[in-house]
Amino acid sequence: MADTIARDRSLTARHVGGVYGRALVAQIRAITEYPADFWVMASAGVMWNLLQFAFLTVLFATVPDVAGWSYHEMLLLSGLLSVAAGSTALLCDGVWSTGQMVLKGEIDYRMTRPAPVVVQVATTHIGMQGFGEVAFGLVMAVYGWIGAGLGLAAAPVGVLALVCAVVIECALVTAFCAVNFWIKGPMSNFAFMLIDLQNSAMTMPLGLFPSGVRIVTMFVVPVAFVNFVPVAVLTGHLSGWWLVGTPLAALAALLAAVGVFRLGLRSYDSAGH
Amino acid sequence: MSHAFAVDRAFATVAFKRRLAYKTQWMVALVLGGGAMLVSMAMWRYLLADGALSGYDWDSMRAYIIIGFITATVVFGAADWNIADRILDGHIAVDLTKPVDFQRARAAEYIGSMASTVPTVVVGVIGAWLLFDPPGPASPTAGVLTAASFVLVFPLAFGITYMTVLVCFWTKRYLGVMWLREALLSFFSGMMIPLAFMPSWLQAIAWALPFPHFTTTPAAIYLGHVDTAGALGLLAAEAAWAVGLWLGARLVFRRAVRKVTVHGG
Repeated sequence: MADTIARDRSLTARHVGGVYGRALVAQIRAITEYPADFWVMASAGVMWNLLQFAFLTVLFATVPDVAGWSYHEMLLLSGLLSVAAGSTALLCDGVWSTGQMVLKGEIDYRMTRPAPVVVQVATTHIGMQGFGEVAFGLVMAVYGWIGAGLGLAAAPVGVLALVCAVVIECALVTAFCAVNFWIKGPMSNFAFMLIDLQNSAMTMPLGLFPSGVRIVTMFVVPVAFVNFVPVAVLTGHLSGWWLVGTPLAALAALLAAVGVFRLGLRSYDSAGH
Repeated sequence: MSHAFAVDRAFATVAFKRRLAYKTQWMVALVLGGGAMLVSMAMWRYLLADGALSGYDWDSMRAYIIIGFITATVVFGAADWNIADRILDGHIAVDLTKPVDFQRARAAEYIGSMASTVPTVVVGVIGAWLLFDPPGPASPTAGVLTAASFVLVFPLAFGITYMTVLVCFWTKRYLGVMWLREALLSFFSGMMIPLAFMPSWLQAIAWALPFPHFTTTPAAIYLGHVDTAGALGLLAAEAAWAVGLWLGARLVFRRAVRKVTVHGG
């Protein structure tokens, strides 16, 4: 019996993985039909990061540090956030359409298909800016890594931080977009505010802000674990023990996203034609 | 002539009312603009605690950041999507049959939508004034000329936005175009960091573009970084960009409209 359950679960996971992969490949095929759009979007992703790089370079030509953080440490901070944000665009950009689908009743037929609704919604789109964000984000992160004097010995921590950052970011965006199950509207305003405020505040050392901001970003909406905590641990601003919180935050964010989306589906009552 | 102005007013009023109907957007704009403003204040308060940098002390930086908030809210809150959607979904085919100039009608709508951000600006500025108590303008004349530069931001913003929206004749989506424009505007206007911090070659690039007039020009006039003659020169350059972009957009439109694609039928 236990074997059957285990086999069923693995088949289910393989099936879901297959659906997810095929849907993303279909989206990539669609992208190649519109090369001008691809290049404009990818360039936009690169441009924001290039200008963040320029901002830090210009700033640090005048000041030696920001709240004790050096130029390369802050590049690492921005680079990791950029890779995480770009990954959400590549892996689950469709969740931004949750509000539209709820309004138009487009969740209906996705509920009848043999695959999780959240997977189907997440794969309805790919954010082409993600290619540029991930690519230039990695450039910034690697440049910051080398400049901050981090060697290959710290690479496993870096990989763990990267994986957890992507999971936390995808989970938080999914959860915040799922708010539209209750607060109806075509725009994912809560997720949009989360991303925008994260881009403003989390590219800065948390020491600049009042303690309330630190508590919220670490323990309420754990965006600090996307980039600030792992980079602070790597560069010695925080004790190594804080690193334990990163996978825990990823797990908590993932469970929260699944939970919020499931609750949303329960309260979903279609468009009422 | 009066009929044409009546049409402009009608377009602007409809766009203004349409935007005001979405009150959630006021809150979103306030959170986004206010959040960015608070982060900037926190960073510069730390950096300027020991004195001035590149000609800015904590007093002048507070005023600078609030001016950046005002222009960012007005420019980023305007309804550029409405123009792009008309091109992308083919509604422009209907617009071209109407006895109104397409560019002028879109300008009226755009400026109407910009005006709808004023409540957000007022609430944000009052809040910022109470929290940070920034210094007043360098002189009454500087105050008047700063107001004039804010007024000129309206046609200038339309010129840049419209010119970039015309790219939609060649693409199927607008989002990337908008992000590219907003990125360049944020950096080269001085919203991210004042131009005075940049190396001279980067400042030269910025001043060769229309973007500095969104933040650097009003802030320089307000803070008295330029005298009255210098302020009038900056305003003249701002106005020249607005006129140049208006005429340039007409040329681009003539070529772009041949690419119009209407789906379905």
